[in-house]
Amino acid sequence: MNSAARLAEILSANAGRAGPLLPILHDVQAAFGCIDRDAEAEIAEALNLSRAEVHGVVSFYHDFSAEADPRLVVQLCRAEACQARGVEEIVAAGERAAGERVCLKTVYCLGLCSVGPAARVGDALHARLDAAALVALIEAA
Amino acid sequence: MGYEPQVDFGTPEVQSETVVTLTVDGRVVTVPTGTSVMRAAALTGGSIPKLCATDNVQAFGSCRLCLVEVDGMRGTPASCTTPAAEGMVVHTQTPRLAKLRKGVMELYISDHPLDCLTCSANNDCELQDTAAQVGLRDVRYGYAGENHLGLEADTSNPYFDFDPSKCIACSRCVRACDEVQGTFALTIDGRGFASKVRRPATSLIGASSGRPWPSVTVSYATDVTPLRSRPLVCSGSGAR
Amino acid sequence: MTLIRISDDALALACGADAVAAAFAAAGCTVERVSSWGLHWLEPLVEVGGIGYGPMAPDDVSAVLAGTSTKSIGMIAEHPFIARQQRLTFARAGKTRPLSLDDYSATGGWAGLTRARSLSPDQVIAEVTQSGLRGRGGAGFPAGIKWKTVADAAASHKYVVCNADEGDSGTFADRMLMEGDPYHLIEGMTIAAYAVGASQGYIYVRSEYPHAITKLNQAIVLSADIIAPFRIEVRVGAGAYVCGEETSLLNSIEGKRGEVRAKPPLPAHQGLFGQPTVINNVLTLAAVPHILLEGGAAHYDSHGVARSKGTMPIQLTGNIKSGGLFETAFGITLHELIYDIGGGTASGRPVKAVQVGGPLGAYIHPDRFDLPFCYEEYAGVDALVGHGGIVVFDDTADMGRLARFAMQFCAAESCGKCTPCRIGSTRGVELIDRIRSSPRGADSVELLPQMHNARKAGRSREEDIALLEDLCETLKFGSLCALGGFTPYPVLSALKHWPEDFT
Ligand SMILES: Cc1cc2nc3c(=O)[nH]c(=O)nc-3n(C[C@H](O)[C@H](O)[C@H](O)COP(=O)(O)O)c2cc1C
Ligand code: SF4
Ligand code: SF4
Ligand code: FES
Ligand code: FES
Repeated sequence: MNSAARLAEILSANAGRAGPLLPILHDVQAAFGCIDRDAEAEIAEALNLSRAEVHGVVSFYHDFSAEADPRLVVQLCRAEACQARGVEEIVAAGERAAGERVCLKTVYCLGLCSVGPAARVGDALHARLDAAALVALIEAA
Repeated sequence: MGYEPQVDFGTPEVQSETVVTLTVDGRVVTVPTGTSVMRAAALTGGSIPKLCATDNVQAFGSCRLCLVEVDGMRGTPASCTTPAAEGMVVHTQTPRLAKLRKGVMELYISDHPLDCLTCSANNDCELQDTAAQVGLRDVRYGYAGENHLGLEADTSNPYFDFDPSKCIACSRCVRACDEVQGTFALTIDGRGFASKVRRPATSLIGASSGRPWPSVTVSYATDVTPLRSRPLVCSGSGAR
Repeated sequence: MTLIRISDDALALACGADAVAAAFAAAGCTVERVSSWGLHWLEPLVEVGGIGYGPMAPDDVSAVLAGTSTKSIGMIAEHPFIARQQRLTFARAGKTRPLSLDDYSATGGWAGLTRARSLSPDQVIAEVTQSGLRGRGGAGFPAGIKWKTVADAAASHKYVVCNADEGDSGTFADRMLMEGDPYHLIEGMTIAAYAVGASQGYIYVRSEYPHAITKLNQAIVLSADIIAPFRIEVRVGAGAYVCGEETSLLNSIEGKRGEVRAKPPLPAHQGLFGQPTVINNVLTLAAVPHILLEGGAAHYDSHGVARSKGTMPIQLTGNIKSGGLFETAFGITLHELIYDIGGGTASGRPVKAVQVGGPLGAYIHPDRFDLPFCYEEYAGVDALVGHGGIVVFDDTADMGRLARFAMQFCAAESCGKCTPCRIGSTRGVELIDRIRSSPRGADSVELLPQMHNARKAGRSREEDIALLEDLCETLKFGSLCALGGFTPYPVLSALKHWPEDFT
């Protein structure tokens, strides 16, 4: 399916909702890896919003991006409870392992605060990480 | 033709069949129910510092300069978003408020160009006036912190320029564009410290405005002042 | 065939529960996936005939089946960590299959809703008020009063919104409830809807909780007939801590930027899509089915102290030996929680500080570990009960760095609407850096000859600390919402109790 058809499908799938913009943006981000200018304009038109309104929303939320990043993403929690369990001491090893190939992103809390340091790759969660486990995780990503 | 400053009551007039009577700095005033404390204060001739409020658009409560103290209320509510209530006793000038307002202004100026003397808005600038009003002298943060000073100005509009380094992100232009013009051409882009006003580049859906900047600021300007003058909607001297 | 029970809660999965489950299945056992007991240091925890084994790895399976495992903890229900609790909201934890309607009904599910429907909406609200239930999302506002306001508002549409944005570090109780006992939340929301006259509900879940989202979506479909005519939809957040703030959350559901709205109007008057809206935390709503049982309100009210009534699911996290979920009546001390129940630090080193109530909560010094867990006592010392998260730090913690982190977090998550938080949080990070690396001279701009009014002399550390205190005052009293308004608590508490960490 080409991207215009996919976008149209997403728009119609969410048509019945009240306040459909966020669900649409999630679907577009998942389908295309980003929400670019053209998509913003199409979504705006479909919802009878201005481009400015849609752009303002896209740029507000960290889950949405204007450009696709082809790299794999590993989210590492660096919030307080994981700090208390030593995450800051393993960040450097993680960054070295990630290099240019993997995007090591900071996230604040995955709800695993009693078993941190914690990370997320897609929907898979990882807990009790030490430097070796984090490096292994990144290398397997 | 010069620009005659008109009294800005801060928040729009409210119609109501009922009224409330309150005391602001010892002066008794009666206003329609739903009127903001800020407007009530302005009606007594008082002046509470403000940067995000103007009586052309709905109250927003973002600049936090208009804080007041109200007997029996916790903290320091913003007068623009607090409705006047029967029997309310409001204080708009106290040492505590003076310190808070100065603290807010100090933050603004820590991220603002220091070229007032050469700025086209000099002596006609709400930011400058308000800084003087709250008595800001020293910016203790210094000027070496993160800032927006490097951003380039947009001079594509025939009527005014937009200098993002001077914008204080009060959203007045965005709100005027939405509420008054109904054009929805502007937005705040990003969030937090990175927030900035933006007009997405492609044409607008539902509005065939070919102008690079929306007409909101222009019509504001032409309503009251000649072209090339100060768009009244802008408080931070971002657009001029 | 041996019946093995293993949790499919996200935390158990993160600790490797699936591999353990697969190993038992491969050994010919029947594996039942249940909710988590909340004994997190033992996850993956398996239960065989009431006896627990953990933390399990696939290699341990044969020993468990042969009866030779050294990982037995005895009867789980009798384990001191469980036996000491008073579980009302988490009564089913560890015991039921999350999506099984049979399990739910068999353990008292829907009884609260059935009884509520036999009462008038006013009576339901009266019982919630009588129970003393206060909001568990942070502010502790009485739930009954909020509901009454919405019930009394005249409008054709009303909404019940569940705040499941749970962004605080050190908290996971909402997540555990949504993943382990989703019908329980659905039942609580349905009772709220009946009480206030709402026909549509939303659960706003953060996107960091994919497992909770899946479970809720399935549970909503399976229970649709039971809760009809009420309908519930899950909405997924998009990576913004501030969207846990109620007005920002409503903007987000409406499809807007998650900027905070000025109050008034309150959401109870003009909330979602401008209509009267009940917005409550997951744990607030999940306390309701119990309260609506015959005598439930009085039973709830009989727990706790003073004006902090009922139970609080406390989350023991960070550097703690036995971390997990501990639901108990209000009034328990930090000393009991950290040492008697939690077993001290995981590292074995002395405790230096605990942060209670999430990233906006104060750091509490061991001197105050006698403080009873309750809204008023905490407020009295500028601390926060919040959502009941407790993060323990050992003596290697650098409190200056944690104070800096509080400002950095505020800067990262600021919605950007109000000036104190938008600019002040960034200045706070810079200022703490400066304090920790003083002395400093005037900066290059200040030294320019045309800067007549600027200070030319450097600023002392004492002056910068005074400025940090002033900044905190500006944030505290000037901010539009509690993100900017409460960030001073962790900062100032760190500065007050551990000034040596700021050099
Ligand atoms: C920055 C910020 C984040 C918040 N995050 C949450 C949250 O994740 N979950 C929550 O229930 N309440 C959160 N709150 C509190 C909500 O604004 C609101 O008080 C709560 O949803 C009301 O529900 P309750 O009365 O049941 O506690 C947050 C508040 C602020 C200021
Ligand atoms: S351009 Fe002017 S009106 Fe618009 S946000 Fe900036 S300072 Fe405010
Ligand atoms: S304090 Fe102000 S800028 Fe910060 S999140 Fe709240 S409303 Fe937004
Ligand atoms: S703080 Fe890292 S998972 Fe909660
Ligand atoms: S004028 Fe009230 S907050 Fe700006």
